[in-house]
Amino acid sequence: MSILKRIFGVSEFGLLVSLVVIFSFFSISSKYFFTVRNISNILGQISLPLIAGVGFSILLISGEVDISIGSLQAVVALPLLVIMNATGSFLLGALAAILLGAAVGVINGLLVTKLKINSLITTLGMYYTLRGAVYLITKKVAIADDSESEIFFLIGNGKLYHFLPYSAILMFVILLFFIYIMKNTTYGRRIYAVGGNAEVARIMGINVERIKFSAFILCSILASVSAILLASRLGSANHLAGQGFEFQVVAAVILGGVSLSGGVGTLLGTFIGVFIIGIIQNGLGMMNVYTMWQLIITGVIIIMAVAIDELKKRHE
Amino acid sequence: MVRTSSMLNDIILQIRGVSKEFPGVKALDNVNLSIRKDEVHALVGENGAGKSTLIKILAGVYTRDEGEIIFENHPVIIHSPADSLRLGIKVVFQELALIPHMTVAENVFLESFPLKKNKAIDWDKMSQKTDEILKSIGLSISPKDKVNKLTVSQQQMVEIARALSHEAKLVVMDEPTSALTPKEIKFLFDVIRKLKTLDIGILYVTHKLEEVFELCDRVTVLRDGKLISSRNIKETNTDEVVKDMVGRSIKTLFPKTHVGKGKAVLSVENLSTEKKLKDINLKVHSGEVVGIFGLLGAGRTELAKAIFGLDAITEGNVFIDGQELRSGSTSHSTKMGLGLLTEDRKEEGLILQMSVAQNITLPSIKDFSTFGFIRRKLEAKSSNEFVQKLRIKTPSLRQKVMFLSGGNQQKVLLARWLMKKLKVIILDEPTRGIDVGAKAEIHRLIDELAKVGLAVIVMTSEMPELLGVSDNIFVMSDGRITGEFEKRSATQENILAAAIS
Repeated sequence: MSILKRIFGVSEFGLLVSLVVIFSFFSISSKYFFTVRNISNILGQISLPLIAGVGFSILLISGEVDISIGSLQAVVALPLLVIMNATGSFLLGALAAILLGAAVGVINGLLVTKLKINSLITTLGMYYTLRGAVYLITKKVAIADDSESEIFFLIGNGKLYHFLPYSAILMFVILLFFIYIMKNTTYGRRIYAVGGNAEVARIMGINVERIKFSAFILCSILASVSAILLASRLGSANHLAGQGFEFQVVAAVILGGVSLSGGVGTLLGTFIGVFIIGIIQNGLGMMNVYTMWQLIITGVIIIMAVAIDELKKRHE
Repeated sequence: MVRTSSMLNDIILQIRGVSKEFPGVKALDNVNLSIRKDEVHALVGENGAGKSTLIKILAGVYTRDEGEIIFENHPVIIHSPADSLRLGIKVVFQELALIPHMTVAENVFLESFPLKKNKAIDWDKMSQKTDEILKSIGLSISPKDKVNKLTVSQQQMVEIARALSHEAKLVVMDEPTSALTPKEIKFLFDVIRKLKTLDIGILYVTHKLEEVFELCDRVTVLRDGKLISSRNIKETNTDEVVKDMVGRSIKTLFPKTHVGKGKAVLSVENLSTEKKLKDINLKVHSGEVVGIFGLLGAGRTELAKAIFGLDAITEGNVFIDGQELRSGSTSHSTKMGLGLLTEDRKEEGLILQMSVAQNITLPSIKDFSTFGFIRRKLEAKSSNEFVQKLRIKTPSLRQKVMFLSGGNQQKVLLARWLMKKLKVIILDEPTRGIDVGAKAEIHRLIDELAKVGLAVIVMTSEMPELLGVSDNIFVMSDGRITGEFEKRSATQENILAAAIS
């Protein structure tokens, strides 16, 4: 009884049901959907939005937002490819990409916590600035990978036992690590406190600005990790990379139950949210639904899911 | 028979056997209540007694599960706030429902603007009618004033004016005096008495019994969702009503078991802030309760925030055990053993979406963790101890704190600081909006805090509380300290004299 109650009581339960329903629907509708090959594909596809989504969720729970992550994906791929091409070392390139990402996070964080500029505005500015910088630097020509680094190719394209994508392994490691952090560390608790009510958190002696600042950096770093995977898939640093990525992540994270106003949400929810959107897009593709319809259906499902959640809350 | 019918005509509202259930709680259980059209009827009861549920049913926010509501001799069903207004019921909630950027006249006629023939708003008529209503209640503001420029008291009057514009027959007021100065309260009472002469029934919901006896004609007591008594004011007294409210008589409202003061722990020297405070000096010793009294706007809350480091200090210093606090750094203050319980529980106290346990351990979470990893079992065990010790009523430690009653929320906040093992605690209006029974428990806890050696500061605007809990009293007025009294020499008169100086 109490176990059942706990399972039903979990806030992600409703989402989980939707996931199962949608999954079953596609499994019945398309004979190609529920196959080893396709499941493997889905896991690979969701690894990018999920890795970035973990950081994005944490930032959102802390009460701030960062919509520059799509542009960031394009920017950090530049040092990655340039350094890799020059030195042949994937590690050096990846390090440079992540450092650049962290630097952008520092700038976003400083603007928001020190100058007190609204984070939506700050990162909207960053969204344009970074994209412009990529156009300027690349002159709209992609930088191809000449390094012949095997790791670089495998990290985005390789699969363990021809089934489990390496990117998905990375995704699960990052997800589980941060689920643990959010649940079991003082840092996680403080993120929730700061996003739940910053004024109270301050009275509790929490350094609100420092926590938010760290969340900005975390978000940018994880977005940079997803950028490395994207570059590996594309085999290049492309000036168009990551366009619209921020909204894909926002949609999945909100669907997963993270509140736009902060303080509420879990990374398990984020995982399910990303997963649902992933299988919808994949499943509709399998059923040969036109892209425009795919977009419309995805949009409708997001609004419906959030509406249902809102109704449920009101009922409580 | 004749007598019954004439009585029926006098009765504007009759509630018969009304019940309302929420998951796990029977908020109202077979409640009866009748209100005559020329009386002020007090509704009292502890938090969670069902007062709010009852007025929300009248306001159309909730619908009843069972029972009848008879308004002007007709059974009615109130589905929405619009239904309630249409019938002639106007509920003035604590959080006023005005649109701040609109004018007084616009707010008064918000639900039904007077129109010209061509369906455009008749501004002249609206202004003129509003002016008439404002004058009839003796309020000297212009219909063209923006509402956000008015005082709380004036805004409340705008709500009453709105009731009059609707020709309301029943006005329900929920704790209307909680944010008013004594002068404003007097004015409010005059207006309420005026409403009474206009044959408007008034349901007056309050915690303050002295108001009940000053203003009301009858008093109805609810406890645990049930009707306990309805009495004529002239035939009852405070003790009787309190007994009905708590179901027991409160022997010692202000227990005092702490003895003697130790060394000075907190000292504030020449403190001034940009906003309000001027040259504040005070010392608080361990094991001592210092009461700070002041009327609204005297600067009590500002002083609490400045000492704690929330507001910047322009001059002067704050010391704990001889060590200076860094102004503007709350993390330093808490590290030094200073805690603040703010006046506004919801905005500046609790994190509503978090659980009871998480709220309790928030400032002391470090004590439950090694290298930043929380030991959750230890956390649960410890918070459970405090839940038991303070008798916090909650179904579980995981319950979100937003679902607790006001008194229990306040206990969660006290548990938080008790757990943290502080040296100094500042309590800003610790019993505001809390019922009599829970108040006594909070006072007991304040005594407990002093007993274990804390230096306690209680900021309050309630005279009985001030005199009851404090060993030493400071009085503030306009940002300054205007009086200091030892317990023995303190009287209501000399305290009030200092407060208005």
